[in-house]
Amino acid sequence: MADSDMPAPGHSDMPAPGKPDMPAPAAPSAPLVVSGLAFAASAFLLATCQVELPTAAREELVKSGVAVEVLVPFAEFVASASVFGGYGRASGLGGGFIAHEFGSDVDENGAEVPGLEAATLVRFGRYPSSVSVVDTAGTNRLDTAITFHAGGVLVRLDTVSSVAAGPVDLVAHLVTEEWDPVSAGWDYAVDTVDNRVAWSTPGGGPGDEIAVGVWDPAAGDSVELMLDSALVVAWADSTAIRDVRITATTPGVRLRVSSVVVQLQTIPSIRPDTLLRIGLGATGATFIYDPLPSPPLGALRVGGAPSWRTVLNLDIPRSLSGYPDLCRQLDCPVDLRADHVSYAGLQLTTAPAAAAFALSDSLALDVRMVTAPRFLPKSPLGPSSLAVTGGAAVAPELYRPEAGQVFELPITEHVRDQLRGETAFGDPVSSTLALMTVFEPLSIEYASFAGRNSATPPMLRLILNFSRGN
Amino acid sequence: MRPLLIAAALLSIVPPARSAAQSFLGFRALGAPVLASDGRAVGTGNIGIGLRGLEFSVLDPSASARLTLPTVSASMQPTWGSFELEDETGSSNTTRFPLIGIGFPLPEARGVATFTLAGFMEQRWTGERSELIDLAGEQVLVEDRFETSGGTSVARLGWAQRVFRQRLAVGVSVGAYVGRLEQSFDRTLDSLSIGDRIRPFSELSEWRYSGYTLAAGISADPHDLIHLAAAVEWSGDITETPRPGTEGAANTYSVPLRLSGGGTVQLTPRFQLNGSIAWQDWSGATGFPDGAVSHLKFTYGAGLEWRAVQQETRSVPIRFGYRRVVPPFRYHRYDPIETVWSAGLGFNIVEFAAIRLGWIDLAAEYGTRDSHPLSERFWRGTVSLGISRF
Repeated sequence: MADSDMPAPGHSDMPAPGKPDMPAPAAPSAPLVVSGLAFAASAFLLATCQVELPTAAREELVKSGVAVEVLVPFAEFVASASVFGGYGRASGLGGGFIAHEFGSDVDENGAEVPGLEAATLVRFGRYPSSVSVVDTAGTNRLDTAITFHAGGVLVRLDTVSSVAAGPVDLVAHLVTEEWDPVSAGWDYAVDTVDNRVAWSTPGGGPGDEIAVGVWDPAAGDSVELMLDSALVVAWADSTAIRDVRITATTPGVRLRVSSVVVQLQTIPSIRPDTLLRIGLGATGATFIYDPLPSPPLGALRVGGAPSWRTVLNLDIPRSLSGYPDLCRQLDCPVDLRADHVSYAGLQLTTAPAAAAFALSDSLALDVRMVTAPRFLPKSPLGPSSLAVTGGAAVAPELYRPEAGQVFELPITEHVRDQLRGETAFGDPVSSTLALMTVFEPLSIEYASFAGRNSATPPMLRLILNFSRGN
Repeated sequence: MRPLLIAAALLSIVPPARSAAQSFLGFRALGAPVLASDGRAVGTGNIGIGLRGLEFSVLDPSASARLTLPTVSASMQPTWGSFELEDETGSSNTTRFPLIGIGFPLPEARGVATFTLAGFMEQRWTGERSELIDLAGEQVLVEDRFETSGGTSVARLGWAQRVFRQRLAVGVSVGAYVGRLEQSFDRTLDSLSIGDRIRPFSELSEWRYSGYTLAAGISADPHDLIHLAAAVEWSGDITETPRPGTEGAANTYSVPLRLSGGGTVQLTPRFQLNGSIAWQDWSGATGFPDGAVSHLKFTYGAGLEWRAVQQETRSVPIRFGYRRVVPPFRYHRYDPIETVWSAGLGFNIVEFAAIRLGWIDLAAEYGTRDSHPLSERFWRGTVSLGISRF
């Protein structure tokens, strides 16, 4: 097309704005619609493309950061501290304890504590009425004509948590008095809200000795206390009492029982050349012990069975001043917000506990918010903060060769929640925390820490981060 | 009705605040400037004033006086960039929406009311740092990352009026600076040194921009082959206010007066040249750190447009251009200069008497931006769509 064929893009014939007599262009809608849709699709695709920012490792492009460690004294972050006991029952532990004259000492209150006495009580169920036997043809058959003529009480022990310098003499007694596997204790055979029945003699009643045995820690983790064959036969009666108390007669031992079963022996009628061993499990079990630990007068305590909890009412400071490292880098007082707290650890100093309940194995601790402190000691708790990682383990070495060593319990999220005034999910928070074991009860042992009036009260260790300038 | 729906769809998906200059320039100030132009101006090297037939201009409020029908236009700019900063190199990419314009002629008043939303300054970059610090008696490795994202746009309401037998147009606009800036600082401490329970530190700061601007422009066609325009823009201070939850005091920055002008010469019925220039002296601007502002004052551009295909109601112009832009803020102490070569292609789908009623403009640019020790390169595309008579 020649230049002269087209109208000049001048102005003299340009229509006035909105002039109604302007000729309409031919069919503008279709191409406009197509173009518009194409543009809209392109814009949408490009708008949703990933953006890559220019990134350079240059000092001048980054704000200054300040990271500092601060140790907050007890009085500046805790309004009050209390110790509560009685959470859970010994029967909830699973397994049990056996002890004899263990750890007679002076406890953290300065009181004389006689040696620990502990017995494990087990109730066994009925004998099986049949066994499945492989006959000589290799076929599984049910043998209902079985008789048991021998057996023993097989006790398995937790060798890590047990304290024994050498072989331990164990004794099994028949418990002849009625007892409740859930609530029984050293003094009471039944100890429920509406019913309390004492043993005729504390510690499970007199009982009849039915088996003895020796557990040698060097030989393994179990010992079988052989039963008299007449008793094995007598226990076949469905109405027979098959309740057993296991104790130790060797002084200075405390054993943790993993499980107790009766190992029965029988010769099946369809395979008279074969001796079968059949395990008879417990239908109920607990352990009873004496003396119970007395409440601590000044120390903090976590653990035991039933369990102890230490409850702290926090008062986390909202601004910090007087900390040389902090104030050297920032203008004090420094306002403290949740985001500034990269780590918060409750530093506890181990305190000597009664030797009877001293740690022999690590105790896993947890920290949970007390959601309704006014209902303490029965307040509901918030979610666990440490159980998902197995808890924070207090090692027995922190009490050896003597107590006074520092254990740090991470409470970062709790401190952040306090400063934020709500949880990270927007739920309300209370200022009260419970220090407890990850499960209750977890062990007869408990951890003891120095309290407010000690020379080494708890401290709050904070690692704080701040930004500064542009 | 369908074009109206398209326009609504366009406005719903095009957020101008998403614009991004993707530059380290001005990291101590308001960032790098956004040249808010459509694909035609970009392709012809025009800085936004004096180009005959320009539908919307953020520099010249009188430019829209030619609109005869309600019109909406939007532009989109994907950008791919790279940089060298001493021994460091890197890349970036983004998509920005530098200009949205709406014009509504009022026949009774023989004028056009306009609304534009245009990018002004943008800050989008990330800085990183690794260092050893003393913490709790340990040497701890920390990794810091500071990300800045946001910028300033200007929303303008304008009025363009044709006078003197359609050969002269005047216009005024009043605008408000809007926008926000987000800065995040993230610090990660080495867990091997300090323990795995330590949390990274993150801090988000948010700022809001506000301020006002006034502009006036005049454009004229003293001859059938010549189009001229000039404009002046005065700005009040831009205030950077911390949003709730962000510590710090408000900052106030002055924006200097801007004078701009340009013109187009019609060499043949299908070929035209244009040139444009803007003057703005940032050297006396207040509120910025010492040495942050440039002393260069002139931005200019020039280019040509040739209608390769010309039919009665449609045409396909081809464009070339060059621009030299002086960003107002330095990287360190050297005045920055941006040079851009551009090419473009237009599809004037519907036009009447040189007035476009429906169009798509495409432009491609290659540019460099230097402010020692920073050197940046970029490829940028521009796609603009305009629709009238809905």
